[in-house]
Amino acid sequence: MTDDSTNPAQRRVVGTPQIRKEGAEKVLGRAKYVDDIEFPGMWHGATVRSTIPRGRILAIHFDESVPWHEFVIVTAADIPGNNHIQMIAADQPCLADGAVNHCDEPILLIAHPDKRLLPQAVASVRIDYEELPAVLSIEESESKREIIWGADTSTPNVFKEFVLQKGNVDEAWSSAACIVEGEYSTGAQEHLYIENNGMIADYSDDGGITVWGSLQCPFYVHKSLMAVFNLPEDKVRVIQTETGGAFGGKEDYPSIIASHAALLALKARRPIKMIYDRMEDLAATTKRHPSRTRHRTAVDKDGKLLAMEIEIATDGGAYSTLSSTVLSRATLHATGPYVCPNIRIRSRAWATNTVPYGAFRGFGAPQTIFAIERHMEHIALAVGMDPVELRRRNFLHDGDTTATQQIMREPVILDQLLDRALAVSDFYAKRERYARENATNPVKCGIGIAAFYHGSGFTGSGERRLNSLAGVDVTLQGKVRVLVSSTEFGQGTNTILAQIAAEALGISYDDVEMAPSDTHLIPNSGPTVASRTSMVVGHLIQRSGRQLIQTLKEAANLSDNYTRHDFFAACELLRARDGEVKSLSRYEAPPNIYWNDDTYTGEAYPAFAWAVYVAEVAVDTITYSAEVIDFHTVQEVGTVLNPTLAAGQIEGGVAQGIGYALYEKVQLKNGHMFNNQMTNYIMPTAQDVPPIHVYFEQIPFAYGAFGAKGIGELPHDGPAPAILNAIQNATGESFSAIPLLPEDIFLRFASYGLDPENITA
Amino acid sequence: MNQFNYLHPASTDQAVSSASSDGSKFIAGGTTLVDLMKLYVENPSTLVDVNDLPLAQVESLPNGGLRVGAMVRNSDLAFHPTVKEKYAVLSEALLSGASPQLRNMATTGGNLLQRTRCPYFRDVTAGPCNKRNPGTGCSAIDGFNRTMAILGTSDHCIATHPSDMDVAMTALEALIFIEGPKGKRSVPINDFYKLPGDTPHIENVLEPGELITHVEIPPAISTKQHYLKLRDRASYEFALASAAVVARVEGGHIHSVRIAMGGVGTRPWRAHEAEAVLTGKPATPAHFQAAAEAALRGAKPHTENAFKVELAKRCVIRALKVATA
Ligand SMILES: Cc1cc2nc3c(=O)[nH]c(=O)nc-3n(C[C@H](O)[C@H](O)[C@H](O)COP(=O)(O)OP(=O)(O)OC[C@H]3O[C@@H](n4cnc5c(N)ncnc54)[C@H](O)[C@@H]3O)c2cc1C
Ligand code: SF4
Repeated sequence: MTDDSTNPAQRRVVGTPQIRKEGAEKVLGRAKYVDDIEFPGMWHGATVRSTIPRGRILAIHFDESVPWHEFVIVTAADIPGNNHIQMIAADQPCLADGAVNHCDEPILLIAHPDKRLLPQAVASVRIDYEELPAVLSIEESESKREIIWGADTSTPNVFKEFVLQKGNVDEAWSSAACIVEGEYSTGAQEHLYIENNGMIADYSDDGGITVWGSLQCPFYVHKSLMAVFNLPEDKVRVIQTETGGAFGGKEDYPSIIASHAALLALKARRPIKMIYDRMEDLAATTKRHPSRTRHRTAVDKDGKLLAMEIEIATDGGAYSTLSSTVLSRATLHATGPYVCPNIRIRSRAWATNTVPYGAFRGFGAPQTIFAIERHMEHIALAVGMDPVELRRRNFLHDGDTTATQQIMREPVILDQLLDRALAVSDFYAKRERYARENATNPVKCGIGIAAFYHGSGFTGSGERRLNSLAGVDVTLQGKVRVLVSSTEFGQGTNTILAQIAAEALGISYDDVEMAPSDTHLIPNSGPTVASRTSMVVGHLIQRSGRQLIQTLKEAANLSDNYTRHDFFAACELLRARDGEVKSLSRYEAPPNIYWNDDTYTGEAYPAFAWAVYVAEVAVDTITYSAEVIDFHTVQEVGTVLNPTLAAGQIEGGVAQGIGYALYEKVQLKNGHMFNNQMTNYIMPTAQDVPPIHVYFEQIPFAYGAFGAKGIGELPHDGPAPAILNAIQNATGESFSAIPLLPEDIFLRFASYGLDPENITA
Repeated sequence: MNQFNYLHPASTDQAVSSASSDGSKFIAGGTTLVDLMKLYVENPSTLVDVNDLPLAQVESLPNGGLRVGAMVRNSDLAFHPTVKEKYAVLSEALLSGASPQLRNMATTGGNLLQRTRCPYFRDVTAGPCNKRNPGTGCSAIDGFNRTMAILGTSDHCIATHPSDMDVAMTALEALIFIEGPKGKRSVPINDFYKLPGDTPHIENVLEPGELITHVEIPPAISTKQHYLKLRDRASYEFALASAAVVARVEGGHIHSVRIAMGGVGTRPWRAHEAEAVLTGKPATPAHFQAAAEAALRGAKPHTENAFKVELAKRCVIRALKVATA
């Protein structure tokens, strides 16, 4: 069902930089975040957490200095339903019951009217444990000396495993001119949304549970609460409050904190607010999965890829949460945007006794794209070829097949993106100039490139399973409302979906508003993840709009050349007939899409966004600090629906990618994050971020809203490898692990000794 | 944070007498203290606000030096014409710290007394910390110690003194003026800070109730000055290593020099040994290197911060080069 997307030349709203729907409220300080909300009689909740990574709980002592009778205390025994958070599997306890599997695991909940008394009370609960040996790294988990998950399965300690085969790798090695091996690793990364996790819950016998909070996916929280409280659908209500950033960090964790607040509310019989401070949020909530990727690649003498053998391991933490889908995306992005006849990928997500890792912008792709894009650099060196040329020779083109044997049906314009990136960054001239100047300068400059794709939307059969429903209705006040569970958390959902509705209905942007993000009022349009909102949900809105116009034409004589006034008048005629004006659409997969979950073959993604990024760095060989000095991005993301928001996504993603590459290190001891303060977890500031130049090519995708594909995650995939490639170009030194801190660079250079003559200003 | 009494006296005498009771603390800009109160690291029962005291002047002294009131804001001091002209090292140090918003609040007195950023010190749930809870132990020695000190440490504490301003003040040999229940006194900055030893919770020579009223900076030995700060990111970050240099060069030779280091010591670190190595010598890179070696001779790195030894040397060499150029 392709779209007769309106002629781009005639579009009025889509493609223009509209003002953000919630922008004014935020700028004026009127937007209400969860911590701004107060209810009469509300108490405050706090969490008692495990201080050891693994063990059995022997006893819990309550220090007598605290007036415990004033507190409400909840343990696992108070859970009316299933003591498990409903993610892909249900293995993560809502509250530890007898055993703990990671530091900072929630054990007890307490609430009191005076929130100032909570820290002392939390500290006054002493827990005796029988400690068990902990598994704290991928390698320890692989060794299976301790089995901490899935003892009853054939693959203990493994949350998920994928094996992907194309062609015959084993036969390819002998014909290779060159075989290149490499191992690459990436660290954890914290989302650092500005607003920490927080939730308010209330309970009544009639209404059941209502929660208000900072979250990405209202129906994920809804599903978990139904299970934890053993309540039917209509007795659980989830309302999203203004959400100050998420980046994936509010995809799964809100289900936990919402359950906690609601358990306290149920027992206290009053509203409960739980707001994490930064330290608790950093220590206890999810982060990006650390990873290790090994490559073995056969190339012929012209640099053509003959065979790729890839082994991926991710650290999933103590419970499975989203590790299997993160691993899936990591696997499906592991070959990079290259064509190769023989591929074998084996990937595993390992259990460790650390805080569960979760969703984070890119969702596994930044990890394996870092590996392949560093590896391409090493291959180029091995075959003595310009790394740019090596990439070009191996790019996917229309009609080629990927590792899953997906045929590239949509146009692939990597060559064009590469040419533009080389031109706008003045790549070759700069590379030559830097090489010349570096000879006499202790500050070495370099330039590096990364090419990549990011699959838009859910993987494989995911979208079909989601079966999303979304649409529009028209209020009595004469406003069109967008009905979705897709949420706004700073990225622009409200604005984009309103633009799409306005365009599809032929009315003005100001005529459209968002329905409140409340599971009692909105249909389930799926989670706000996977770069799917504009493309998939936006398309449902576009279809609903078109459908409504069709109905108005048939039922209310709306003319072909209708005005805004005609539109709303017709709506009222329809309301008189039907009692409401509403149009919903359900997801339909594009045609010719097949996917086999068992063999992992078929159409992994309905569409891909493509990009070539160029990073320039300056490495000070005296102080070892590497600074990104310029950054060019060229991408093809389908139709750009709002140029300002789109550029904002790219700039933010690149900044976050710079942090991932050079600054942000999660320091763990016993699986507990010890630098859980912003003064010790270093993220880049505005001064550390170079000018970021953003260029779009637009090839409309027939099954996305007005031709849109996904954009949100793409920009996090490319910066890290581009930057490390630039560092290699600058210094001749090759680094294979991120974050790459000054001392890591230092260790390499220190062995070369210090010549004081060279220490210039 | 806990409840506390709040007083704001109008005179220095009143301030001193209000603050002599147990559990009282002065509050100036509040940029260190309020943070630590929110983290329950500091739990004063009384806050004595010194913002109304007449201590916000910068005045030139007859001897050519400068008198800086304790309430002079870091921004005002950094941009003061005399400071820019005669004490560039101080201006540079101030401007390398924190952010403009913080510098507009932070005061000279508060900066002298800012406390370490050691993560264990700042997290009451993080386990033992001798500075926070005397006698409990030090979590950093075998823990996260990447940013910790390599000079002046003890088996009880290895926390870095975080200030930039104080490093420049140390190279400028400032005098700290104090008023307390027992009267007035002044202490050279180099005698003001204590090494952690086995009492890391005692960081300086101030007695309970003592107020810093002002600082006097003697005329600098030279205007050849430089503050170099090396850190993890370009702004809003404490030093991994820094160096303040004031050097008088005559005929290509170092006549006299003052060197202090930040980010590496448990207190602002005056490098007397390095100064001795340089005095009377030609201002050449080889001598700068010998000075840097001397400055770091006693350095004792821990599991994660060995890189700081080399980094600090390079910092001293580069600061000397810039200052003497
Ligand atoms: C995010 C952040 C980043 C920072 N980065 C840097 C940096 O890069 N470099 C740097 O050097 N600093 C940095 N700082 C620290 C900053 O410089 C200090 O917080 C500031 O100088 C303290 O001054 P204040 O007036 O706010 O002190 P307050 O917080 O008011 O007081 C600090 C202490 O001094 C005491 N006190 C204050 N005035 C007097 C007085 N007159 N007599 C006696 N006792 C007094 C108080 O009782 C308290 O114990 C940073 C701070 C923050 C929050
Ligand atoms: S270094 Fe000092 S401040 Fe840090 S934990 Fe040890 S004793 Fe506490």
